[in-house]
Amino acid sequence: MTDRIKEQLSTFLDGELPDQETALLLKRLERDDELRGALSRYSLIGAVLRNDGDVPAARQVAARVSAAIAREPMQELGMRLFGVATVLRSGAGLAIAAGVAAAAVLMVQQLNVADPAAPQAVLAQVVESPIVPVSAVDEPEDSPPISYVTPPAADGPGSLPPVQFANFLVAHYGYASPLVRRSVGAGLISATDEAATEDATAADTRNGQ
Amino acid sequence: MNPRRVIAVALCLAAAPAAAETGREWLDRMMKALNSATYVGEFVSESAGRSERLSITHRVQDGVVSERLVSHSGSGRELVRENDEVVVYLPDQKLAIIERRPSRSDLLGALPPFEGQMDSWYNVDYVGREASLLGPSAVVAVRPIDGYRFGYRLWIDEDSHMPVRSELSDAGGKVVERLRFTKLTFVQDIPDSAFEPALDRSKLRWVRQAPQVEDEAPTWRAAQVPPGFRLSVSGLQVVAGSSTPVQHLVYSDGLASVSVFIQAPAPGQPPVEGSGRSGVASAFSTVVQGHQVTVVGEVPPRTLKVFAIGLRPVTGAAPATSTAATDRSRRD
Repeated sequence: MTDRIKEQLSTFLDGELPDQETALLLKRLERDDELRGALSRYSLIGAVLRNDGDVPAARQVAARVSAAIAREPMQELGMRLFGVATVLRSGAGLAIAAGVAAAAVLMVQQLNVADPAAPQAVLAQVVESPIVPVSAVDEPEDSPPISYVTPPAADGPGSLPPVQFANFLVAHYGYASPLVRRSVGAGLISATDEAATEDATAADTRNGQ
Repeated sequence: MNPRRVIAVALCLAAAPAAAETGREWLDRMMKALNSATYVGEFVSESAGRSERLSITHRVQDGVVSERLVSHSGSGRELVRENDEVVVYLPDQKLAIIERRPSRSDLLGALPPFEGQMDSWYNVDYVGREASLLGPSAVVAVRPIDGYRFGYRLWIDEDSHMPVRSELSDAGGKVVERLRFTKLTFVQDIPDSAFEPALDRSKLRWVRQAPQVEDEAPTWRAAQVPPGFRLSVSGLQVVAGSSTPVQHLVYSDGLASVSVFIQAPAPGQPPVEGSGRSGVASAFSTVVQGHQVTVVGEVPPRTLKVFAIGLRPVTGAAPATSTAATDRSRRD
């Protein structure tokens, strides 16, 4: 799969591919197993198309697209660009779960798990199923594909995976109080592999406050 | 600091009373500065036993807010905000995460700070003046009246009205997070190039969060919320890590905000219950009527739990009621 196709696929998933190119891509999808395979690996997209969700908007969209795929030839489906792109755009968002997972584990400290005996999730110790990238930008053709790993959905009963927390923290960032938004942002880009320094309480003590 | 300068500052502080000495006035000035000033600076964030030094570039130009946070930890991580788009660059993970919202949704405007509603839940006091690293500051204490929110102690620069230092404390008075500016320079203009990340973006995997679906009628509401919190924003959103669109509700008490995410059960995905914390933000996750509920916000964990357990589907649900009466009686 060439970079050009990857870019097209990415743009298509983002719902930003022009109509004409989308029609061509849909035709290519029809005959290109590899391309279809790439799409099929976005299993979360499948969840939407299979109507697994229980959210009304997703259900409606899923039903519409499932029906379109089932009943219409590809050419006609291509004419329904907007609806398909919308769904796949959602799918792209769903697929980012895997990508963001890699980022998320860096950011969060696991505290107060319901089960104190549950092991603490630690970055770089959690290596599970490989995931498929949503898109690549200027990736050399001969370079090995970049793959990411995501921790399991749950580290065990009673624990909140750091990856999950961080994913939601990104979504919350824009709504954080302006007073603390910088702090929330700092938490998002802070590395956890640094040696911990004195905590605020210790600093208070030292400063005599 | 030079001893002579310390003496000079002390004399200055003693001789010149602040122009505004009510805490609320200082808060209003501070918010105006936060939303209008163009500046570059460096600050240190201390939280949960960790210290992070970061630089910030902040520009307000024609109503468009641009901001760039850069970690100095060596990871090369950055966060760049361009009005309604936030990009988190994680070069050590070869990853860039894009969060984009509809242009009509102003991230800052979505939650107007310091509205009248906060007055009922926080006592705001002007404490006095202190000489800080960057000059004389007005010290303002924002104390919550209950344990559902954090308290703040703010050092507001008397000239620029910017918060040059802040401490966030829990109900027991323990400092949860401290942020302190070490450099702060106000400038007239900052070129666009200053908001370009200093990394090779071609090597990154770009991950996009789908735009939030606005104006969706919420299918879930918090039937009972902590006192003072009101629903500010609701919609469907595709969040990383979720296999289905997630309902996102945002509640605010005028100062603190809480995001509530409700996910339909995903086949083969076991429910998750627990909590976590990252700096000033905490999270609590549980299962309510078969749905995965995750609550995130810059509030104490107790507050998050109240939101989570109070969630109900909208159908047949009564309007959200506050637990204020209960808490007031408890205090009495």
